[in-house]
Amino acid sequence: MLLALSLLQLLYVLLLAPLAAGILVKIEEVLESKKGPSVFQPYYDLAKLFRKESLVPTVASPFFMVAPYLTFAFYLLLTLVLPIITAFPLTFGPVVDFIGGGLVFGAAATVKKLAAIDSRNNYSHLGTSRAASVGALSEPIMLLIFIMLGVISQTNNPYVINNVLQTSGAWYGSLVHWFVTIAFFMVLIVETGKLPIESHTMGELGMIDQSMEMEYSGRELALYKWGGYMKHFLLMNVFMNVLAVPFLVPMTPSTTALLVYPVINFIKILALLIVFALLNESVSKYRLFRIFDYVSVTFVFAFLAALVFFTTRTGGGFR
Amino acid sequence: MTLNSIFVLVGFIQIALVTFMQWQTYISSVIKTFSIGSYVLAAFLLAAGYVGHEPYLIALGGLTAVIRAWFIPSFLSRMLRRDRWRAREIKPVLGIASTIILSLLFAVFGYVIYAWTMYDYVHSALGAIPVALFLQGAFLIISRRTPTTQLIGYLVMENALYLFGFLFPELPFVVEAGVVLDVIGTIMISGVIVRLKEEPAQNADVDDSTPREDFTELRG
Repeated sequence: MLLALSLLQLLYVLLLAPLAAGILVKIEEVLESKKGPSVFQPYYDLAKLFRKESLVPTVASPFFMVAPYLTFAFYLLLTLVLPIITAFPLTFGPVVDFIGGGLVFGAAATVKKLAAIDSRNNYSHLGTSRAASVGALSEPIMLLIFIMLGVISQTNNPYVINNVLQTSGAWYGSLVHWFVTIAFFMVLIVETGKLPIESHTMGELGMIDQSMEMEYSGRELALYKWGGYMKHFLLMNVFMNVLAVPFLVPMTPSTTALLVYPVINFIKILALLIVFALLNESVSKYRLFRIFDYVSVTFVFAFLAALVFFTTRTGGGFR
Repeated sequence: MTLNSIFVLVGFIQIALVTFMQWQTYISSVIKTFSIGSYVLAAFLLAAGYVGHEPYLIALGGLTAVIRAWFIPSFLSRMLRRDRWRAREIKPVLGIASTIILSLLFAVFGYVIYAWTMYDYVHSALGAIPVALFLQGAFLIISRRTPTTQLIGYLVMENALYLFGFLFPELPFVVEAGVVLDVIGTIMISGVIVRLKEEPAQNADVDDSTPREDFTELRG
């Protein structure tokens, strides 16, 4: 049963992650009073790329070709361990907790950066440098967020955190939880490259993530793109399922709940996509050095969660 | 929801708003943020007065809404519209990111000071919130050069005193902190007046006190 659910979750993420990306683009275009491409455009793009020939820079090492498969495998692993369609651990659930999941995300990002450096493309180096600078500040914030989630649930297991927030109105309504949620949302914007952090145009002045895969083509580029869609989808799910709206995720195996919840989950993701689309259409991109101001505010919110906990715990945190 | 938890909510909203002020380079955003913070404070005082049947709190809430949340911000905004060159902080003392982190560190420092000194007497962790806010307001004053933002920093310190006074109305600290605020206010105003008298043609940014060579030459 658990293995079947794991496979269902894997298929759910693999198949719907590109659709979420297509819907986001469509909403943005509609907001701009344009017709926009079909919501299935990412599938067409992936299909086209899988058919295309792969070109490799002559100076690149074999690692350059391995990296897309490796990162894709990391995202597949994460799909199996995070609470997407269930709030009870599936077969691979006990493999990693939130910190472990963060490390796997970090490993995927590191592999991508190494491969970008290996390509010897100037723009890829530029993007790697920028991504590393921002990541060096945003990753510790993520860690602080996980520590505060540990404070809420006494564990770093995302399933337990979901269960605690689903069942405890006091924790869900607490300022600790909401400061962590705000900080996570701000990190989510950084990690998924949304405005005001990154604008997905081809102007090299603002490029961070997309410049790292510039030398890729064919199947490898398709895997990078698909992996990117999955990463966004997984992070959005963590935000919605664990932090912002942890409700209705099935906490026990029930056929009806398991059949209905994927639909509810996708509605949650749609709501978040609308928020992202509104942000993308209403906020302008920060200059690169101002991203650090944004990251500092994110850190403050994560740290304020700790201060709130310190203030409100029984008897105060002073003794 | 108890009054204590509402107090924590209001206190941390104020702290978050000060962080937002540190983030902003446009003075109008700082003024609007202060106005929002004052409205939140006024709502809290009104609610506390209504629940506790204390008319003086209701009156204080009303006065806060009218004077601090509406009149002072609209007056400052009008001044900004008149002097367009005041629209933004041109030359911050430190980088914005460093200022934000330092502001947070001041909040933590406030907690530490409170734990070491007052906590032993009052035994309430909530008092750390206004102390943290007080220090953040003071830091807003020293981290900016424009008088308008410095004035807002001073008003943030006053907001902190409001919160402290709400928690411990009987403590002499409230009076002493009030005196400190008066002294800071007097120094600020006298600094601005002296500066304006010295160089009426230039802007009144408090930190920009080095006479310019070209102006010195013109004076002869």
